[in-house]
Amino acid sequence: MEDIFVKLYEMTAISNIIADPSFLVMYAIAFVLLYLGIKKHYEPLLLVPIAFGVLLANFPGGEMGVIQADSNGMVEVNGVMKNIWEMSLPEIAHDLGIMNFLYYMLIKTGFLPPIIFMGVGALTDFGPMLRNLRLSIFGAAAQLGIFTVLLVAILMGFTPQEAASLGIIGGADGPTAIFTTIKLAPHLLGPIAIAAYSYMALVPVIIPLVVKLFCTKKELMINMKEQEKLYPSKTEIKNLRVLKIVFPIAVTTVVAIFVPTAVSLVGMLMFGNLIKEIGSDTSRLFDAASNSIMNAATIFLGLCVGATMTSEAFLNWTTIGIVIGGFLAFALSISSGIFMVKLVNIFSKKKINPLIGATGLSAVPMASRVANDIATKYDPKNHVLNYCMSSNISGVIGSAVAAGVLISFLQ
Amino acid sequence: MENLNLGLMLMAVGMITVFVILLIVINLSKLLIAIVNKVAPEEVVTKKTAPAASAPAIIDPNTMAAIKGAVNIVTGGKGKVMNVEKI
Repeated sequence: MEDIFVKLYEMTAISNIIADPSFLVMYAIAFVLLYLGIKKHYEPLLLVPIAFGVLLANFPGGEMGVIQADSNGMVEVNGVMKNIWEMSLPEIAHDLGIMNFLYYMLIKTGFLPPIIFMGVGALTDFGPMLRNLRLSIFGAAAQLGIFTVLLVAILMGFTPQEAASLGIIGGADGPTAIFTTIKLAPHLLGPIAIAAYSYMALVPVIIPLVVKLFCTKKELMINMKEQEKLYPSKTEIKNLRVLKIVFPIAVTTVVAIFVPTAVSLVGMLMFGNLIKEIGSDTSRLFDAASNSIMNAATIFLGLCVGATMTSEAFLNWTTIGIVIGGFLAFALSISSGIFMVKLVNIFSKKKINPLIGATGLSAVPMASRVANDIATKYDPKNHVLNYCMSSNISGVIGSAVAAGVLISFLQ
Repeated sequence: MENLNLGLMLMAVGMITVFVILLIVINLSKLLIAIVNKVAPEEVVTKKTAPAASAPAIIDPNTMAAIKGAVNIVTGGKGKVMNVEKI
Protein backbone atom coordinates (compact mmCIF):
# COMPACT_ATOMS: atom_id res chain seq x y z
CA MET A 1 0.00 0.00 0.00
CA GLU A 2 2.79 2.36 0.98
CA ASP A 3 4.54 1.56 -2.32
CA ILE A 4 1.49 2.72 -4.26
CA PHE A 5 1.49 6.06 -2.44
CA VAL A 6 5.22 6.49 -2.99
CA LYS A 7 4.78 5.77 -6.70
CA LEU A 8 1.82 8.14 -6.88
CA TYR A 9 3.89 10.83 -5.15
CA GLU A 10 6.76 10.27 -7.60
CA MET A 11 4.37 10.33 -10.55
CA THR A 12 3.22 13.87 -9.74
CA ALA A 13 5.38 16.94 -10.18
CA ILE A 14 5.17 17.62 -6.42
CA SER A 15 8.28 15.57 -5.58
CA ASN A 16 10.39 17.47 -8.10
CA ILE A 17 9.00 20.84 -7.01
CA ILE A 18 9.86 20.08 -3.37
CA ALA A 19 13.32 18.91 -4.40
CA ASP A 20 13.89 22.09 -6.45
CA PRO A 21 11.74 25.02 -5.19
CA SER A 22 13.11 27.31 -7.96
CA PHE A 23 10.13 26.09 -10.01
CA LEU A 24 7.89 28.06 -7.64
CA VAL A 25 9.75 31.26 -8.54
CA MET A 26 9.09 30.56 -12.20
CA TYR A 27 5.37 30.01 -11.49
CA ALA A 28 5.32 33.35 -9.68
CA ILE A 29 6.99 35.04 -12.68
CA ALA A 30 4.48 33.40 -15.04
CA PHE A 31 1.55 34.55 -12.89
CA VAL A 32 2.89 38.12 -12.71
CA LEU A 33 3.35 38.22 -16.50
CA LEU A 34 -0.15 36.79 -17.02
CA TYR A 35 -1.53 39.44 -14.65
CA LEU A 36 0.29 42.21 -16.56
CA GLY A 37 -0.98 40.90 -19.89
CA ILE A 38 -4.58 40.16 -18.88
CA LYS A 39 -5.37 42.78 -16.25
CA LYS A 40 -2.98 45.62 -17.15
CA HIS A 41 -3.19 45.06 -20.93
CA TYR A 42 0.62 45.22 -21.37
CA GLU A 43 1.12 43.84 -24.91
CA PRO A 44 -1.41 41.03 -24.17
CA LEU A 45 -1.11 39.48 -27.63
CA LEU A 46 2.48 38.52 -26.85
CA LEU A 47 2.79 38.63 -23.10
CA VAL A 48 -0.05 36.13 -22.52
CA PRO A 49 1.40 33.37 -24.79
CA ILE A 50 4.92 34.03 -23.43
CA ALA A 51 3.72 33.86 -19.83
CA PHE A 52 1.75 30.68 -20.47
CA GLY A 53 4.81 29.22 -22.21
CA VAL A 54 6.82 29.95 -19.03
CA LEU A 55 4.22 28.14 -16.97
CA LEU A 56 4.13 25.10 -19.29
CA ALA A 57 7.93 24.86 -19.41
CA ASN A 58 8.35 24.60 -15.66
CA PHE A 59 6.30 21.53 -14.77
CA PRO A 60 8.83 18.78 -14.11
CA GLY A 61 8.09 15.74 -16.26
CA GLY A 62 5.91 17.75 -18.64
CA GLU A 63 8.69 17.90 -21.27
CA MET A 64 7.50 21.33 -22.38
CA GLY A 65 10.67 23.27 -21.55
CA VAL A 66 13.05 24.09 -24.39
CA ILE A 67 16.41 22.35 -24.11
CA GLN A 68 19.11 24.59 -25.53
CA ALA A 69 21.82 22.94 -27.57
CA ASP A 70 25.38 24.05 -26.77
CA SER A 71 27.54 25.93 -29.26
CA ASN A 72 28.37 22.62 -30.98
CA GLY A 73 24.71 21.70 -31.25
CA MET A 74 24.94 18.97 -28.58
CA VAL A 75 21.99 18.17 -26.29
CA GLU A 76 21.53 15.52 -23.66
CA VAL A 77 18.80 13.06 -24.63
CA ASN A 78 18.04 10.39 -22.01
CA GLY A 79 21.62 10.58 -20.70
CA VAL A 80 23.18 10.39 -24.17
CA MET A 81 24.75 13.41 -25.92
CA LYS A 82 23.29 13.92 -29.41
CA ASN A 83 23.82 16.52 -32.10
CA ILE A 84 20.48 18.32 -32.49
CA TRP A 85 21.18 19.15 -36.15
CA GLU A 86 21.56 15.46 -36.97
CA MET A 87 18.22 14.58 -35.35
CA SER A 88 15.10 14.46 -37.49
CA LEU A 89 12.08 16.53 -36.46
CA PRO A 90 9.98 13.47 -35.51
CA GLU A 91 12.94 12.28 -33.42
CA ILE A 92 13.11 15.67 -31.65
CA ALA A 93 9.36 15.54 -31.01
CA HIS A 94 9.62 11.97 -29.67
CA ASP A 95 12.74 12.37 -27.54
CA LEU A 96 12.47 15.99 -26.37
CA GLY A 97 8.74 16.77 -26.52
CA ILE A 98 6.44 18.82 -28.70
CA MET A 99 7.69 22.23 -27.52
CA ASN A 100 11.26 21.44 -28.59
CA PHE A 101 9.87 20.25 -31.93
CA LEU A 102 8.16 23.65 -32.38
CA TYR A 103 11.18 25.58 -31.11
CA TYR A 104 13.74 23.90 -33.36
CA MET A 105 11.43 23.94 -36.38
CA LEU A 106 9.97 27.47 -36.12
CA ILE A 107 12.27 29.55 -33.93
CA LYS A 108 15.78 28.15 -34.18
CA THR A 109 15.50 28.16 -37.96
CA GLY A 110 14.68 31.90 -37.78
CA PHE A 111 11.35 31.29 -39.53
CA LEU A 112 8.85 33.12 -37.34
CA PRO A 113 10.34 36.65 -36.85
CA PRO A 114 10.36 37.42 -40.62
CA ILE A 115 6.80 36.05 -40.87
CA ILE A 116 5.74 38.45 -38.12
CA PHE A 117 7.59 41.24 -39.93
CA MET A 118 5.48 40.47 -42.99
CA GLY A 119 2.37 41.00 -40.88
CA VAL A 120 3.80 44.19 -39.40
CA GLY A 121 4.51 45.44 -42.94
CA ALA A 122 0.93 44.66 -43.95
CA LEU A 123 -0.27 46.79 -41.05
CA THR A 124 2.15 49.69 -41.65
CA ASP A 125 1.40 52.83 -43.60
CA PHE A 126 4.54 54.44 -45.03
CA GLY A 127 2.52 57.53 -46.02
CA PRO A 128 3.55 59.68 -43.02
CA MET A 129 7.20 58.80 -43.64
CA LEU A 130 7.00 59.68 -47.34
CA ARG A 131 5.28 62.98 -46.55
CA ASN A 132 7.94 63.93 -43.97
CA LEU A 133 11.13 62.42 -45.38
CA ARG A 134 13.39 64.91 -43.59
CA LEU A 135 12.25 63.58 -40.21
CA SER A 136 13.01 59.96 -41.09
CA ILE A 137 16.69 60.41 -40.30
CA PHE A 138 15.89 60.47 -36.58
CA GLY A 139 15.07 56.78 -36.92
CA ALA A 140 18.83 56.30 -37.39
CA ALA A 141 19.89 58.45 -34.42
CA ALA A 142 17.72 56.43 -32.06
CA GLN A 143 19.75 53.28 -32.76
CA LEU A 144 22.67 54.65 -30.73
CA GLY A 145 21.27 52.97 -27.61
CA ILE A 146 21.81 49.55 -29.23
CA PHE A 147 25.51 50.09 -29.78
CA THR A 148 26.17 51.95 -26.50
CA VAL A 149 24.67 49.10 -24.48
CA LEU A 150 26.65 46.64 -26.59
CA LEU A 151 29.81 48.37 -25.37
CA VAL A 152 28.62 48.53 -21.76
CA ALA A 153 27.65 44.84 -21.84
CA ILE A 154 31.08 43.87 -23.17
CA LEU A 155 32.63 45.83 -20.27
CA MET A 156 30.33 43.93 -17.87
CA GLY A 157 31.75 40.64 -19.13
CA PHE A 158 29.18 39.52 -21.70
CA THR A 159 30.55 37.95 -24.89
CA PRO A 160 30.19 40.20 -28.00
CA GLN A 161 27.36 37.96 -29.27
CA GLU A 162 25.48 38.17 -25.96
CA ALA A 163 26.15 41.92 -25.75
CA ALA A 164 24.75 42.48 -29.25
CA SER A 165 21.60 40.51 -28.38
CA LEU A 166 21.22 42.59 -25.24
CA GLY A 167 21.82 45.89 -27.04
CA ILE A 168 19.24 45.16 -29.74
CA ILE A 169 16.52 45.52 -27.06
CA GLY A 170 17.15 49.27 -27.52
CA GLY A 171 15.71 48.97 -31.03
CA ALA A 172 12.32 48.48 -29.32
CA ASP A 173 11.37 45.90 -31.89
CA GLY A 174 10.37 42.47 -30.57
CA PRO A 175 10.80 40.37 -33.75
CA THR A 176 14.17 42.03 -34.49
CA ALA A 177 15.40 41.35 -30.95
CA ILE A 178 14.29 37.71 -31.19
CA PHE A 179 15.78 37.25 -34.67
CA THR A 180 19.16 38.67 -33.59
CA THR A 181 19.23 36.61 -30.39
CA ILE A 182 18.38 33.38 -32.23
CA LYS A 183 21.33 34.00 -34.52
CA LEU A 184 23.84 35.20 -31.91
CA ALA A 185 22.95 34.03 -28.39
CA PRO A 186 20.00 31.59 -28.44
CA HIS A 187 20.52 30.64 -24.78
CA LEU A 188 19.42 34.20 -23.83
CA LEU A 189 16.27 34.16 -25.96
CA GLY A 190 13.78 33.96 -23.06
CA PRO A 191 14.99 36.86 -20.90
CA ILE A 192 15.77 39.06 -23.92
CA ALA A 193 12.31 38.57 -25.44
CA ILE A 194 10.67 39.21 -22.07
CA ALA A 195 12.77 42.36 -21.52
CA ALA A 196 12.10 43.63 -25.07
CA TYR A 197 8.34 43.16 -24.90
CA SER A 198 8.06 44.38 -21.30
CA TYR A 199 9.86 47.63 -22.11
CA MET A 200 7.80 48.04 -25.29
CA ALA A 201 4.71 47.72 -23.11
CA LEU A 202 6.22 50.33 -20.81
CA VAL A 203 6.73 52.87 -23.62
CA PRO A 204 3.96 55.10 -22.13
CA VAL A 205 6.05 55.30 -18.96
CA ILE A 206 9.62 55.37 -20.31
CA ILE A 207 9.21 58.01 -23.07
CA PRO A 208 7.60 60.66 -20.79
CA LEU A 209 10.29 59.95 -18.18
CA VAL A 210 13.19 60.52 -20.61
CA VAL A 211 11.44 63.48 -22.29
CA LYS A 212 10.91 65.13 -18.90
CA LEU A 213 14.61 64.71 -18.13
CA PHE A 214 15.97 66.20 -21.33
CA CYS A 215 13.35 68.52 -22.92
CA THR A 216 12.21 72.00 -21.93
CA LYS A 217 8.59 73.18 -22.09
CA LYS A 218 9.54 75.59 -24.89
CA GLU A 219 10.95 72.75 -27.00
CA LEU A 220 7.91 70.55 -26.43
CA MET A 221 5.64 73.40 -27.55
CA ILE A 222 7.27 73.65 -31.00
CA ASN A 223 4.29 73.40 -33.32
CA MET A 224 5.16 71.34 -36.39
CA LYS A 225 2.21 72.59 -38.46
CA GLU A 226 3.17 76.22 -37.85
CA GLN A 227 6.77 75.44 -38.78
CA GLU A 228 5.45 73.79 -41.95
CA LYS A 229 3.51 76.94 -42.80
CA LEU A 230 6.54 79.17 -42.12
CA TYR A 231 8.95 76.99 -44.10
CA PRO A 232 6.88 74.87 -46.53
CA SER A 233 8.35 71.65 -47.88
CA LYS A 234 9.51 71.76 -51.51
CA THR A 235 8.57 68.15 -52.19
CA GLU A 236 5.04 67.68 -53.42
CA ILE A 237 3.60 64.19 -53.86
CA LYS A 238 1.20 64.08 -56.79
CA ASN A 239 0.34 60.40 -56.68
CA LEU A 240 0.76 58.83 -53.26
CA ARG A 241 -0.88 55.53 -54.26
CA VAL A 242 1.66 54.73 -56.98
CA LEU A 243 4.50 55.96 -54.77
CA LYS A 244 3.43 53.66 -51.95
CA ILE A 245 3.52 50.68 -54.34
CA VAL A 246 6.96 51.51 -55.77
CA PHE A 247 8.49 52.36 -52.37
CA PRO A 248 8.64 48.83 -50.82
CA ILE A 249 10.09 47.37 -54.01
CA ALA A 250 12.80 50.03 -54.22
CA VAL A 251 13.73 49.91 -50.51
CA THR A 252 14.01 46.11 -50.51
CA THR A 253 16.31 46.25 -53.53
CA VAL A 254 18.57 48.89 -51.99
CA VAL A 255 18.77 47.29 -48.53
CA ALA A 256 19.39 43.86 -50.11
CA ILE A 257 22.37 45.26 -51.99
CA PHE A 258 23.95 47.06 -49.02
CA VAL A 259 23.03 44.87 -46.00
CA PRO A 260 22.00 41.40 -47.27
CA THR A 261 21.71 40.03 -43.70
CA ALA A 262 18.85 42.46 -43.01
CA VAL A 263 16.85 41.31 -46.03
CA SER A 264 14.96 38.56 -44.23
CA LEU A 265 13.48 41.23 -41.94
CA VAL A 266 13.28 44.32 -44.19
CA GLY A 267 12.34 42.26 -47.25
CA MET A 268 9.43 40.56 -45.51
CA LEU A 269 8.33 43.86 -43.96
CA MET A 270 8.25 45.44 -47.40
CA PHE A 271 6.54 42.42 -49.00
CA GLY A 272 3.76 42.64 -46.41
CA ASN A 273 3.45 46.35 -47.15
CA LEU A 274 3.43 45.81 -50.91
CA ILE A 275 0.49 43.39 -50.85
CA LYS A 276 -1.37 45.92 -48.72
CA GLU A 277 -0.67 48.85 -51.03
CA ILE A 278 -1.52 47.04 -54.29
CA GLY A 279 -5.10 46.96 -53.10
CA SER A 280 -7.95 44.73 -54.20
CA ASP A 281 -5.82 42.54 -56.53
CA THR A 282 -3.87 41.16 -53.56
CA SER A 283 -6.42 41.76 -50.83
CA ARG A 284 -6.63 38.05 -50.02
CA LEU A 285 -2.87 37.86 -49.48
CA PHE A 286 -3.02 41.02 -47.38
CA ASP A 287 -5.80 39.53 -45.29
CA ALA A 288 -3.83 36.32 -44.72
CA ALA A 289 -0.58 38.15 -43.88
CA SER A 290 -2.17 40.61 -41.47
CA ASN A 291 -4.62 38.23 -39.80
CA SER A 292 -4.41 34.45 -39.92
CA ILE A 293 -0.67 34.01 -40.59
CA MET A 294 0.34 36.84 -38.25
CA ASN A 295 -1.89 35.54 -35.45
CA ALA A 296 -0.72 31.92 -35.79
CA ALA A 297 2.93 33.06 -35.88
CA THR A 298 2.40 35.20 -32.78
CA ILE A 299 0.93 32.28 -30.83
CA PHE A 300 3.80 29.91 -31.64
CA LEU A 301 6.46 32.59 -31.15
CA GLY A 302 5.07 33.57 -27.76
CA LEU A 303 4.68 30.01 -26.48
CA CYS A 304 8.13 28.90 -27.69
CA VAL A 305 9.89 31.99 -26.31
CA GLY A 306 8.16 31.45 -22.97
CA ALA A 307 9.17 27.79 -23.00
CA THR A 308 12.86 28.76 -23.22
CA MET A 309 12.53 30.24 -19.72
CA THR A 310 13.12 27.16 -17.65
CA SER A 311 14.25 27.76 -14.07
CA GLU A 312 17.87 26.78 -14.78
CA ALA A 313 18.03 29.04 -17.88
CA PHE A 314 16.31 32.05 -16.32
CA LEU A 315 17.24 32.31 -12.66
CA ASN A 316 20.78 33.68 -12.88
CA TRP A 317 22.69 36.98 -12.81
CA THR A 318 22.72 37.18 -16.62
CA THR A 319 18.94 37.70 -16.58
CA ILE A 320 19.28 40.58 -14.11
CA GLY A 321 22.00 42.09 -16.34
CA ILE A 322 19.65 41.79 -19.33
CA VAL A 323 16.79 43.52 -17.48
CA ILE A 324 19.02 46.44 -16.44
CA GLY A 325 20.88 46.61 -19.77
CA GLY A 326 17.61 46.45 -21.71
CA PHE A 327 16.22 49.46 -19.85
CA LEU A 328 19.46 51.36 -20.42
CA ALA A 329 19.36 50.54 -24.15
CA PHE A 330 15.76 51.71 -24.37
CA ALA A 331 16.35 54.98 -22.50
CA LEU A 332 19.54 55.71 -24.47
CA SER A 333 17.77 55.15 -27.80
CA ILE A 334 15.06 57.65 -26.85
CA SER A 335 17.54 60.24 -25.55
CA SER A 336 19.89 59.95 -28.54
CA GLY A 337 16.95 60.71 -30.84
CA ILE A 338 16.08 63.76 -28.71
CA PHE A 339 19.65 65.07 -28.78
CA MET A 340 19.89 64.59 -32.54
CA VAL A 341 16.81 66.86 -32.91
CA LYS A 342 18.37 69.42 -30.56
CA LEU A 343 21.54 69.36 -32.69
CA VAL A 344 19.58 69.86 -35.92
CA ASN A 345 17.58 72.70 -34.32
CA ILE A 346 20.82 74.62 -33.63
CA PHE A 347 21.60 74.81 -37.35
CA SER A 348 18.12 74.85 -38.87
CA LYS A 349 15.59 77.68 -39.11
CA LYS A 350 12.73 75.21 -39.34
CA LYS A 351 12.53 73.93 -35.77
CA ILE A 352 11.59 70.35 -34.94
CA ASN A 353 9.80 69.17 -31.82
CA PRO A 354 12.22 66.86 -29.91
CA LEU A 355 9.39 64.37 -29.44
CA ILE A 356 9.99 63.41 -33.07
CA GLY A 357 13.50 62.30 -32.08
CA ALA A 358 12.15 60.40 -29.08
CA THR A 359 10.02 58.24 -31.37
CA GLY A 360 12.98 57.21 -33.54
CA LEU A 361 12.97 53.82 -31.86
CA SER A 362 10.48 51.29 -33.26
CA ALA A 363 7.46 50.40 -31.05
CA VAL A 364 5.09 51.54 -33.80
CA PRO A 365 2.62 53.18 -33.31
CA MET A 366 2.54 53.31 -29.52
CA ALA A 367 5.61 55.55 -29.26
CA SER A 368 4.02 58.10 -31.64
CA ARG A 369 0.74 58.06 -29.75
CA VAL A 370 2.54 58.65 -26.45
CA ALA A 371 4.56 61.51 -27.98
CA ASN A 372 1.36 63.06 -29.35
CA ASP A 373 -0.22 62.88 -25.89
CA ILE A 374 2.78 64.68 -24.39
CA ALA A 375 2.67 67.42 -27.07
CA THR A 376 -1.08 68.02 -26.70
CA LYS A 377 -0.64 68.25 -22.92
CA TYR A 378 1.48 71.38 -23.42
CA ASP A 379 -0.54 72.73 -26.35
CA PRO A 380 -3.90 71.06 -27.16
CA LYS A 381 -3.61 72.17 -30.80
CA ASN A 382 -0.14 70.73 -31.32
CA HIS A 383 -0.78 67.30 -32.89
CA VAL A 384 2.59 65.72 -33.75
CA LEU A 385 1.36 62.17 -34.45
CA ASN A 386 1.95 62.20 -38.21
CA TYR A 387 5.41 63.71 -37.84
CA CYS A 388 6.37 61.23 -35.11
CA MET A 389 5.18 58.34 -37.29
CA SER A 390 7.82 59.32 -39.84
CA SER A 391 10.76 58.74 -37.48
CA ASN A 392 8.90 55.88 -35.80
CA ILE A 393 8.52 53.90 -39.06
CA SER A 394 12.04 54.66 -40.24
CA GLY A 395 13.15 53.38 -36.82
CA VAL A 396 11.80 49.94 -37.79
CA ILE A 397 14.04 49.96 -40.88
CA GLY A 398 16.92 51.37 -38.80
CA SER A 399 16.76 48.67 -36.12
CA ALA A 400 16.51 45.92 -38.77
CA VAL A 401 19.62 47.33 -40.48
CA ALA A 402 21.44 47.53 -37.12
CA ALA A 403 20.51 43.89 -36.49
CA GLY A 404 21.81 42.99 -39.97
CA VAL A 405 25.16 44.64 -39.20
CA LEU A 406 25.48 42.85 -35.83
CA ILE A 407 24.60 39.47 -37.33
CA SER A 408 26.98 39.81 -40.27
CA PHE A 409 29.91 40.75 -37.99
CA LEU A 410 29.30 38.41 -35.07
CA GLN A 411 27.69 35.24 -36.44
CA MET B 1 40.42 44.54 -24.53
CA GLU B 2 40.01 42.72 -27.83
CA ASN B 3 36.24 42.52 -27.28
CA LEU B 4 36.12 46.21 -26.38
CA ASN B 5 37.85 47.12 -29.64
CA LEU B 6 35.38 44.92 -31.47
CA GLY B 7 32.52 46.70 -29.66
CA LEU B 8 33.87 50.13 -30.61
CA MET B 9 34.32 49.04 -34.21
CA LEU B 10 30.75 47.66 -34.29
CA MET B 11 29.43 50.91 -32.85
CA ALA B 12 31.17 52.98 -35.53
CA VAL B 13 30.30 50.64 -38.42
CA GLY B 14 26.75 50.05 -37.18
CA MET B 15 25.82 53.70 -36.69
CA ILE B 16 27.41 54.76 -39.98
CA THR B 17 25.61 51.95 -41.84
CA VAL B 18 22.23 52.82 -40.29
CA PHE B 19 22.67 56.52 -41.15
CA VAL B 20 23.88 55.77 -44.68
CA ILE B 21 21.05 53.31 -45.39
CA LEU B 22 18.38 55.71 -44.11
CA LEU B 23 19.94 58.59 -46.07
CA ILE B 24 19.85 56.38 -49.16
CA VAL B 25 16.20 55.48 -48.41
CA ILE B 26 15.33 59.20 -47.99
CA ASN B 27 17.06 60.24 -51.21
CA LEU B 28 15.70 57.24 -53.07
CA SER B 29 12.21 58.24 -51.92
CA LYS B 30 12.79 61.78 -53.18
CA LEU B 31 13.87 60.35 -56.52
CA LEU B 32 10.81 58.09 -56.61
CA ILE B 33 8.56 61.07 -55.83
CA ALA B 34 10.12 63.01 -58.72
CA ILE B 35 9.73 60.06 -61.12
CA VAL B 36 6.16 59.27 -60.04
CA ASN B 37 5.23 62.97 -60.27
CA LYS B 38 6.49 62.95 -63.86
CA VAL B 39 5.25 59.55 -65.04
CA ALA B 40 1.97 59.25 -63.13
CA PRO B 41 1.28 62.83 -62.04
CA GLU B 42 -2.22 63.04 -60.63
CA GLU B 43 -4.46 60.58 -58.94
CA VAL B 44 -7.70 60.54 -60.89
CA VAL B 45 -10.37 61.19 -58.33
CA THR B 46 -13.71 60.18 -59.73
CA LYS B 47 -16.43 62.42 -58.41
CA LYS B 48 -19.41 60.58 -57.11
CA THR B 49 -22.40 61.43 -59.23
CA ALA B 50 -25.35 62.74 -57.31
CA PRO B 51 -28.20 60.23 -57.10
CA ALA B 52 -31.00 60.90 -59.52
CA ALA B 53 -33.87 62.77 -57.99
CA SER B 54 -36.30 60.09 -59.05
CA ALA B 55 -34.33 57.27 -57.43
CA PRO B 56 -36.02 55.97 -54.29
CA ALA B 57 -34.28 56.93 -51.07
CA ILE B 58 -32.62 54.01 -49.29
CA ILE B 59 -34.16 53.41 -45.90
CA ASP B 60 -31.90 52.41 -43.05
CA PRO B 61 -32.56 48.73 -42.14
CA ASN B 62 -33.04 49.63 -38.46
CA THR B 63 -35.62 52.28 -39.36
CA MET B 64 -37.34 49.80 -41.69
CA ALA B 65 -37.48 47.18 -38.92
CA ALA B 66 -38.93 49.76 -36.51
CA ILE B 67 -41.62 50.77 -39.03
CA LYS B 68 -42.52 47.14 -39.75
CA GLY B 69 -42.70 46.44 -35.99
CA ALA B 70 -44.99 49.43 -35.41
CA VAL B 71 -47.29 48.47 -38.32
CA ASN B 72 -47.40 44.90 -37.04
CA ILE B 73 -48.51 46.01 -33.57
CA VAL B 74 -51.07 48.58 -34.80
CA THR B 75 -52.67 46.25 -37.37
CA GLY B 76 -52.46 43.16 -35.15
CA GLY B 77 -50.18 41.37 -37.63
CA LYS B 78 -52.51 41.91 -40.60
CA GLY B 79 -50.75 44.89 -42.14
CA LYS B 80 -47.76 44.58 -44.46
CA VAL B 81 -45.21 47.27 -45.37
CA MET B 82 -44.78 47.27 -49.15
CA ASN B 83 -42.93 50.50 -49.69
CA VAL B 84 -41.53 53.40 -47.63
CA GLU B 85 -41.05 56.77 -49.24
CA LYS B 86 -39.68 60.01 -47.87
CA ILE B 87 -42.05 62.94 -48.46
